[in-house]
Amino acid sequence: MSLFFLFALVIGLTAIGWFTARMRAAQLRPTDGFRAHSLPSYHGWYVALWLGLPALIFLAIWAIFSPGLIEQSVLADPAAQVLPDSEIERAAILGEARALADGSLGAAFNPEAEELVPAYQQASGFYGIIGTIATLLLAFACGAFAFLRVRPDFRARNRVERVVMWVLLIASLIAILTTVGIVASLLFETIRFFDRISPIEFIFGTQWSPTSTTFSDDPGSFGAIPLFWGTILIGAIIAMIVAIPLGLMSAVYLTQYAPARVRSVMKPVLEILAGVPTVVYGYFAALTVAPAVRDFAVNVLGVSSASSESAMAAGVVMGVMIIPFVSSMADDSLAAVPSAMRDGSLAMGATNSETIKKVLIPAALPGIVGGVLLAVSRAIGETMIVVMAAGLAANLTANPFESVTTVTVQIVQLLTGDQEFDSSKTLAAFALGLVLFIVTLLLNIIALGVVKRFREAYE
Amino acid sequence: MNDATDTQAAPEAKPATDEPLVDPASLKMTARNVDVYYGDKQAIDDVSIDIGMDNVTAFIGPSGCGKSTFLRTLNRMNDTIPIARTSGQIELDGEDIYDPDMDVVQLRARVGMVFQKPNPFPKSIYENVAYGPRIHGLAGSKSELDQIVEKSLIRAGLFEEVKDRLDDSGTALSGGQQQRLCIARAIAVDPEVILMDEPCSALDPIATAKIEELIHELRGKYAIVIVTHNMQQAARVSQRTAFFHLGNLVEYGETSELFTNPHQERTKDYITGRYG
Amino acid sequence: MNATTASTDGRQPTDWKTDAMQRRIRARYRAEKRFRFYGLAAVFLSAGFLAFLLFTMVSSGARGFTQVQIALPVDFAASNIVIEPEQLDGNDREQLLALADFQGLAQESMVAAYGDDGQALFSNGAWVQLRNAVSDDPTLLNRSEVIWMPASTEIDFAARGDAGENQSEERLAMMERYQALEEAGQVRSALSWTFLTMGDSSDPTLAGIWGALKGSLFTMLVTLALAFPIGVLAAVYLEEYAPQNRWTDIIEVSINNLAAVPSIIFGLLGLAIFLNTFHLPRSAAIVGGLTLALMTMPVIVIAGRNAIKSVPPSIRDAALGVGASPVQVLTHHVLPLSLPGILTGTIIGMSRALGETAPLLLIGMRAFVPSPPDGLTDPATVLPVQIFLWSDELNPGFVEKTSAAIIVLLVFLLVMNGLAIWLRNKYEQRW
Repeated sequence: MSLFFLFALVIGLTAIGWFTARMRAAQLRPTDGFRAHSLPSYHGWYVALWLGLPALIFLAIWAIFSPGLIEQSVLADPAAQVLPDSEIERAAILGEARALADGSLGAAFNPEAEELVPAYQQASGFYGIIGTIATLLLAFACGAFAFLRVRPDFRARNRVERVVMWVLLIASLIAILTTVGIVASLLFETIRFFDRISPIEFIFGTQWSPTSTTFSDDPGSFGAIPLFWGTILIGAIIAMIVAIPLGLMSAVYLTQYAPARVRSVMKPVLEILAGVPTVVYGYFAALTVAPAVRDFAVNVLGVSSASSESAMAAGVVMGVMIIPFVSSMADDSLAAVPSAMRDGSLAMGATNSETIKKVLIPAALPGIVGGVLLAVSRAIGETMIVVMAAGLAANLTANPFESVTTVTVQIVQLLTGDQEFDSSKTLAAFALGLVLFIVTLLLNIIALGVVKRFREAYE
Repeated sequence: MNDATDTQAAPEAKPATDEPLVDPASLKMTARNVDVYYGDKQAIDDVSIDIGMDNVTAFIGPSGCGKSTFLRTLNRMNDTIPIARTSGQIELDGEDIYDPDMDVVQLRARVGMVFQKPNPFPKSIYENVAYGPRIHGLAGSKSELDQIVEKSLIRAGLFEEVKDRLDDSGTALSGGQQQRLCIARAIAVDPEVILMDEPCSALDPIATAKIEELIHELRGKYAIVIVTHNMQQAARVSQRTAFFHLGNLVEYGETSELFTNPHQERTKDYITGRYG
Repeated sequence: MNATTASTDGRQPTDWKTDAMQRRIRARYRAEKRFRFYGLAAVFLSAGFLAFLLFTMVSSGARGFTQVQIALPVDFAASNIVIEPEQLDGNDREQLLALADFQGLAQESMVAAYGDDGQALFSNGAWVQLRNAVSDDPTLLNRSEVIWMPASTEIDFAARGDAGENQSEERLAMMERYQALEEAGQVRSALSWTFLTMGDSSDPTLAGIWGALKGSLFTMLVTLALAFPIGVLAAVYLEEYAPQNRWTDIIEVSINNLAAVPSIIFGLLGLAIFLNTFHLPRSAAIVGGLTLALMTMPVIVIAGRNAIKSVPPSIRDAALGVGASPVQVLTHHVLPLSLPGILTGTIIGMSRALGETAPLLLIGMRAFVPSPPDGLTDPATVLPVQIFLWSDELNPGFVEKTSAAIIVLLVFLLVMNGLAIWLRNKYEQRW
C-alpha cells in the first residue's frame, strides 16, 4: 500500500472519528442530568487528534526509515551479490531497480537492475504491509482510548486547546530553528574551511583563485579581499550613488511638492521597481546596460580597458532596484519630522526648498541614514544582478568600468558545477556566506537601532 | 449678528467713541472683510481689524473660534494648508499681502511668527537664531552674523543663560528657554510684526511669566499680536483685545475697557466665565 | 519703512526693496524652482527606467511567443514506417511510435521538398512534430499531408531581416532563401504552442516554458503549504498568547532577522541541511519549496502580526465577556477579521518567492531539465532560473525566448500583486 494512500486513509479515519465522537457527545448530553462541560465538537476534535496525530507521526517516521530497511533486505538478497563495489554505481543500479519495481521506468539500462526487481518488490511489499498494519493499529488503539473518554464531565475543550497551544508554540519555534540552522550550517562548514585555509589568509589575502582539487593537490588561493572590495564597490558605492539621490529626491518631491493625485500614482509605480524579480534586472543589466556602459566608457571617456561585464553596469542597475527602499525610508522619515519644524521654517520666510534642505532633511537624517544602511545590506546580499552582469574576475581595481566579482557571485560560482561536497572550494562558499550573513545582520541591527532612536526622539 | 441676546448691547462691535481705535500714524496692518474657508467649512466670517505698531494686541476667544486661523492669515501661513482659502483684504503698510505681486517669503520675514509649542530646529542654539539671517542674506560677514545672533538672544532675554553653550542643541533647552529661542529666532530677521500663537500654552507658570515680561520689553519695537485662551494673560500683556467667537470678531477695544465694560453680551458671558 | 521699527541698538531695519535684496530673492526663487525640478526629474528618471525596462522586455519578448514555420509535404503512406493506424489503438502505442523512424522520414521529405540542403531550413528537432501529428491522428499514416514545421534559427533570423553584424554570406543566402519561400507562400509565422507547452531544449526554436512553469507551480505549492500555516500559527502565537519572556524575545528577533537575511544564505542552508544532511533529491521542487518556505515564512509572520494587531481589543473583550475560550476568540473573531491582511501578506511573500532565483541555483535547480516534472521529487527548474539559464545561452535565438519568459513571469507577478491590492481594498477595515 502506498504511503500516500495510507496517509489518505488515516485522514479519512480521523474524519470518521471526529463525526462519531461528536455524535456520541451530542447524544450524551440530554440523557445526563447536568450540562456537559464541552461542546460536542470539542469531543470530536479530541478523538480526532488522538486518532490522527500519533498515526501520522508514525507514518512520517516510517516514510523516512522504510526505504533504508527495504534496501537492506534487497542487498541481503543473493541477486545483490553481483553488484559492483563502487558506491556510486551501486546506488545507480539500486535506484534503477526501484524505479523498475514501482513501474516508473519501462526498461532497464543495467541488466543487474532487472535481477533485483523481484527482491525489491518482495521487500517493499513486506514492509508495506508491516507499515500499514502498524499505522492502523496505532490509529485504532489511540482513537479507542480517546473515544472511551467521551463523557459529559470530560473537559475535552481544555485538552484540545492545550494541544492547539503547543502547535502554535512549535510553529513559532521554527523561526528559531531556521536561524540556528543557518548559523550552524555556515559555522560548521566554515570551521572545516579554516582547517585548510588560515582565516588570516582568507580575510586579508588579496589573491582569489580557487582551483579544482580534482586535478591537483593545490587548493588555490582564497584571499577574499578582492571579493569584499568588489561587493563594496558595486553595492555600497555605485549602487548608492544612483539610489540615494534618486530615492531621496523622489521622496522629497512626492511628499513635499507633488499634488495628491500625482503622489497616489507615482508612489506605487516606484514600488513596482522593488517588485521586479532580480533575475529580470540581471538580464536587463547584461543585455542592455552593460554594452551601453562599455561603449560609453570606450568611446566617450576613452577607457580602453572597459569590460563588457563591468562593476558600473551591475551597480547602476542595482541602484535602480534599491531606489524604492531608499525612497520609502526617506518618505517615512520625512513624515516623522513634526510639522511644527516645517511651519517654523516657513514662518521665518524660508522657501520650500530651503526648509527641506536646511530643516527637514537634517532633522530626518538619522532615519534616512538608517534606510540607506538597510539598502546597503540589501545591495550587498543581492545575487542575480551581479552574477549576470558583474563578471567573475577577482580584480582589485577602483576602475568601475572593469570587471569585478562579489561575494555572492563567488558563492554561486563555487557551488555550481560538479563538486564533491567537502572540497576547499565548496567550503569556501560557506565561509563567504558566513561573512555575508554577519555583515548584513550587523548592518540591519545598526540601521534598526538608528531608526528606532530617531522615531523615539519625535514621539 | 442675529443672536437675540446681542440686541440689547451697543449698536456695533466698535468702541462707543467715533475715534478710530488705532492711531493712523502707528497703523501697521489692516484687515477688511476677511473670510477663510477650510474646504466647505467657513472658519472666519467677515473679520475687519486694525493692528497698531505701538501696542500689543491680544486675540481671545474659546477654542475653535478662529483666532489662530485668523492669526495665520496675517503672514499667509494658511497657504501651507492646501484646502484653506482666504478672501478679503489684508494690508501691511498699505500693501495688500494677498496681492499676486506680494512675495510671501519677504512677507514672512516682515511678519514673524512664534508657535504654540516651542519648535526649535534640531540644530545648535546659534544655528537656530542664525537660520533666518542666513536664508535672507541679512549678514554680510561672520562677525555681523555673530552680532545679529547675540543681539537677538539679548533681546529675547536668553543670552545670559546660553552664552556659554551656543553650540548646544536648541532642543536640549527647557520649554521656556526653547520658546524664547523661537522668539529670538523670529527677532533675528528684524520683523515688523510678530505673531504669537498661544506662546505660553505649553509652558509652566514661571516660564510663562518670563515670556510675558519679554513681550512687555518688545512692545513698541514690534507690532505684537498674541493669541491666548488665557484671559488673565491677555489682560496682563496687551493694550488692545479682540474677542473672537465662532469665526466672528465680536468685539475689539482697549483691553482695560473690554474686560471691565464689555459692550457685547457674548463678550461679557465669555469673560465672566459662562462659557469657553 | 516705519520709523517705529528703528532699532534702539542702532542696526538699520532691513530694506527689502533694495536692488541687491530683490536680486537675492529672485535667486532664491530660482533655486527653489531648480530644486523642485530635481525632485520631479528623480521621479521621472526612476519611473522612466521602469518603463524602459518593461518596454525592452516586451518589444524583444513578443517575438518569443511566435514561431516561423515552413510547410513540409510528407508522404506517410510511401514512407518506410510500416505501422498501421489500427495498431496505435493498442497498449504498445508509445513504444511503436518511439521506435518508428520519423526522423528519417522528416529528412527525406525535407530533401525532397527543398533540395539537398533542405534540412538546414528546419529546426533540428522538427521531426518530433511528425510523431506528434501521427499520434494525434493515426489515419495520417495512410496518406500524404502538408505539415507546418518549425524553421531553423537561421531562417528565424532571416525572417526578422537580421543579417548579423558582419553580413556573412551564409546569412545573406539564407535571407534570399527566406524571400523565395515567402513568395511561394511556404512560410508563416504562428503562435508558438511549442513555447507554451514544452520543456527546455538546447534548440531555441523548440525550447518551451511549460517545464519551468510547472516546476514553479510545484515549488510554490510546497512553499505555500508550509509557509502559510506555520507563518499564521506563529503570528497568532506571538500576537495573542506569547508570554513576555526571553524565549518570546528570541523568537521575535529571529523572525525579524530572517526577514532581512539575503536570499542566497537560504540557498546555503538548503544545500547544507536538505541536500547534504537529509539527502533529499537534488534539483527537486520539494527542496526548492522547503527552502523558499523558510524564506517566505517571516514575511507572512510579520504581515500576519500586523493584521492581528489591527483587530481592536474591544472585540476580544466582548467575546471573552460572553464566556468564549481563548481559542474560540481566535477562531471565531480574530482570525476571520484579520484574514484579508494575512492573505495580502501571504500573496506578497509568495510573489517574492516566485521571482527568487539565487537560493534555487545552489540547490541544483539550474540543471537542464528537458521534460516537465511530474511530481515534487522530479528534477525541475523554475521560471526565474529558466530565465537565467537561457540568458547564458550563446545561441542568439534564446534572446527573445528569455524576454518572452520574463514577460510570462511578470504577468504572473502582476496578477498576484493585483490580487493582493484587490483583496486589501475590498476587505480592509478601518477601526
